[in-house]
Amino acid sequence: MTKLIVEDLHLSYDATQILKGVSFHLKAGEVVSLLGASGSGKTTLLRAVAGLEQPSSGQILLDGKALYDGAKNVNLPVEQRSLGLVFQSYALWPHRTVFDNVGYGLSLRKVPQAEIKQRVQKALDQLGLGHLAERFPFQLSGGQQQRVAIARALVYNPPVILLDEPLSNLDAKLREEARAWLRELIVSLNLSALCVTHDQTEAMAMSDRILLLKNGKIEQEGTPAELYAAPKSLYTAEFMGSNNKLSAKVVSVEGEQVKLAGDGWELNGLARDWLTAGNDAQAVIRLERVRVVDGPGDNRIKAKLITAMYLGDRWEYLFHQGGLRFRAYGGEPRDAGDYWVEFPANDCWVFAAA
Amino acid sequence: MSSTTSMQVPLPASTGGGGGGEWRAYAGLGRWLTIAIAVTVVALPLSLILFQSFLSAPFFMPNKTVSLEAYRFVFDDPDFWSSLKNTCAIAFGMLFIAVPMGGVLAFLMARTDLPGRRWLEPLLLTPVFVSPMVLGFGYVVAAGPVGFYSSWWMSLFGTDAAPWNIYSLWAITLIAGLTHVPHVYLYASSSLRNLGSDVEEAARVSGASPFRVARDVSLPMVMPSLLFAGVLVFFLGFEVFGLPLVLGDPEGHLVLTTYLYKLTNKLGIPSYHLMAAVAVLIILVTFPLVLLQRRLLRNAGRYIAVKGKAARQHALPLGAWRWVALAIVALWLIVTVFVPLSGITLRAFVSHWGQGVPLTEVFTLSNFTDLFENDSLVRAIINSFGVGILGGAMAVACYTAVGFAGHRRNDWGSKLMDYLVLVPRAVPGLLAGLAFLWVFLFVPGLKEFKNSMFSIWLAYMVVWMAYGMRLIQGALMQVGPELEEAARSVGATKGQTSRYVTLPLIKSGLLASWLLVFMIFEREYSTGVYLLSPGTEVIGALMVSLWATGAVDQVAALSVINILMVGAGLAVALRFGVKLHD
Repeated sequence: MTKLIVEDLHLSYDATQILKGVSFHLKAGEVVSLLGASGSGKTTLLRAVAGLEQPSSGQILLDGKALYDGAKNVNLPVEQRSLGLVFQSYALWPHRTVFDNVGYGLSLRKVPQAEIKQRVQKALDQLGLGHLAERFPFQLSGGQQQRVAIARALVYNPPVILLDEPLSNLDAKLREEARAWLRELIVSLNLSALCVTHDQTEAMAMSDRILLLKNGKIEQEGTPAELYAAPKSLYTAEFMGSNNKLSAKVVSVEGEQVKLAGDGWELNGLARDWLTAGNDAQAVIRLERVRVVDGPGDNRIKAKLITAMYLGDRWEYLFHQGGLRFRAYGGEPRDAGDYWVEFPANDCWVFAAA
Repeated sequence: MSSTTSMQVPLPASTGGGGGGEWRAYAGLGRWLTIAIAVTVVALPLSLILFQSFLSAPFFMPNKTVSLEAYRFVFDDPDFWSSLKNTCAIAFGMLFIAVPMGGVLAFLMARTDLPGRRWLEPLLLTPVFVSPMVLGFGYVVAAGPVGFYSSWWMSLFGTDAAPWNIYSLWAITLIAGLTHVPHVYLYASSSLRNLGSDVEEAARVSGASPFRVARDVSLPMVMPSLLFAGVLVFFLGFEVFGLPLVLGDPEGHLVLTTYLYKLTNKLGIPSYHLMAAVAVLIILVTFPLVLLQRRLLRNAGRYIAVKGKAARQHALPLGAWRWVALAIVALWLIVTVFVPLSGITLRAFVSHWGQGVPLTEVFTLSNFTDLFENDSLVRAIINSFGVGILGGAMAVACYTAVGFAGHRRNDWGSKLMDYLVLVPRAVPGLLAGLAFLWVFLFVPGLKEFKNSMFSIWLAYMVVWMAYGMRLIQGALMQVGPELEEAARSVGATKGQTSRYVTLPLIKSGLLASWLLVFMIFEREYSTGVYLLSPGTEVIGALMVSLWATGAVDQVAALSVINILMVGAGLAVALRFGVKLHD
């Protein structure tokens, strides 16, 4: 069942167009991430759904009911949309206790005191905050503040919960734990969630589907695996994962098979774009797909290893070959010197040069 | 990378105990000299008041003895008790009028899409910069028993009296309350502007309407600064002088300051000992209030500091309520700004007025041309400009010196300065002027300065020290400590750092302070009252004495000139985007 529908949404500040026709669906029990670089419009889109930004045209429907409809001049005020929103800064009210922060939405809904007490306590217990009810926000750690913000957004059972960069205010170490915890919470409570993030790992880990935004438009939409393994554009390919980017000339195109030539090297790749022989092209290959091998062969280049960096679970190598610089991962330490490196043809995606 | 031969360049100061050491000692000396002078100019007049209050007669009389006679006299005087009662009534009334109105006004201006906010802001602040004397005169000629608006009302409705009486204690309290709304507004709005809009949006997402947001989130979060503003207004209630002097006279309502003013000739001879006793009693109330303000100001940003990133501010849409809100603001503006200012301006351009007198027939410029035939009035205008422009610059220089003496140091010297600048704040201008009069009479060698503008300037500078220091310290705090630390680490002394880094960086802050101090000095009236003598006339103090003689024509014309001077300062400030408050 579809919870939230956004249809052809446009939004601009003065003369600057922020959203240029965005459409997507959010199904019940699904987590969708809005992923994009800063300035892509992802936060604006989330705020427009919440009712904090004023779109200029398009539609936002929740359970079939219009929250915003540019054509029919419908625009429900924020407080009547009854969505749950977790702010990037958490926006906890510093003059209220944790209990009052969480219970405010219920008391606005005229829920009897006794029931508020019981529901707030249940929400806090669920999030492991049961013992902190009487504290003030500034007495809590960053992770605890984040949970309070989530409890506040969940306590009145909103049909959809909106999360604005929920993990970005946490320390790097805490962030991974919180990510797993948040995913578990969303799955176990069967929440429908829309989440904004600029971190592709976070987006992939957290969500069922990702919308990659670029300059106010959706660049590509799909499951994390689709976006990572089958990018439709150079932008998507580069945005996801860690990549090597090779500039080259197209030598020949045969169906999906492309032959590329650079300064002293030749490689075969997979066409992901409309290519013509003789034109400039960009090849993208993930770091983990580049392999250091024993000797010469198909799609192999001889390159000079400049340095190897230890990352704990693996090594990262930096190679130079003429004007070409690329990186690869490997399991063992290697000394500087010449090596053969393989670029498997199916992992070497070729796009027309932008 | 191969390391290149590095050449160490020795600092002249580090070559030994030679020239550098002397410079350092000299710089330290300059700082202590600044502190010593500041302590003297603040402490001397105050201790003189205290000393005088324990004498049985003015200090220059031969028959004076140390006694509590002055206090006994004051405590036995029923006028003292009634003026104390009136002062308390006015102070509490101001508190209950100014704080709620100021808070609401600040919320409307800072957080909502109220129409016309841009041009409302300078208008809202007018009562802060226009002399209360001028406002008082304005109310008398506009809404007094025979005022313009009262006459129009009477002829319009055919009654023989206006339905209001601006000379009652209630009216004085109401007017004092309304004219102090901007003080609350200033503090509340600057806190509200610093509040991230995320906390308000969080409340709206939770289901709160704009008015519940204001009630449950915005205003409680700026409660510390509202509390501060409340104490400030209550404190100012003990200081008000101009309004009760003008409005309280007809029905004989005295407040502590006007009581003190009337004491001047109570016993036929200058009754300095009685005035000193009242002054000490006033300071006993105001000084604890100043200390309380200081404590509260520290807490004022308490909730603000917890906020996350101050993201882009989003104005809260008021919907149809915006017109109701605008009407409330407009009504306040009409009563507090438009009525008195239009009244006094109108009065300055007519020869006389009354019911049924058409204004076009009595229009005249003679009130202004007459001014220029009177030497003391011309001097007053020139002196007022001088003390504002030159004196303002000199005052800012002094404040800067004091500011640097305490800047990023944490020894007892800077702590002393911290408290020292608070002391003059507790002394109403009228008392400070009196104290400086005594200093110039009492201290040998200063007598010839008594009749020069130096005496006025010194008193102004000390009275407004706390205000000026806040401006300077605000500017100094804008300079990141790492910029100064960088200069120190490449080898600059503290003095060199100040000259090379800090001072150039706060230049625009100093210019803004100069402008604000100019306006404050033009507005000042009470400090000069006792220092008024041939040669030291300033518009503010001269208006007080002219009003007593009933020279309404001259007072009205001077008021308009005074408004124009302050207005010019305000226009320049707005033109250059000077922040009118912190």
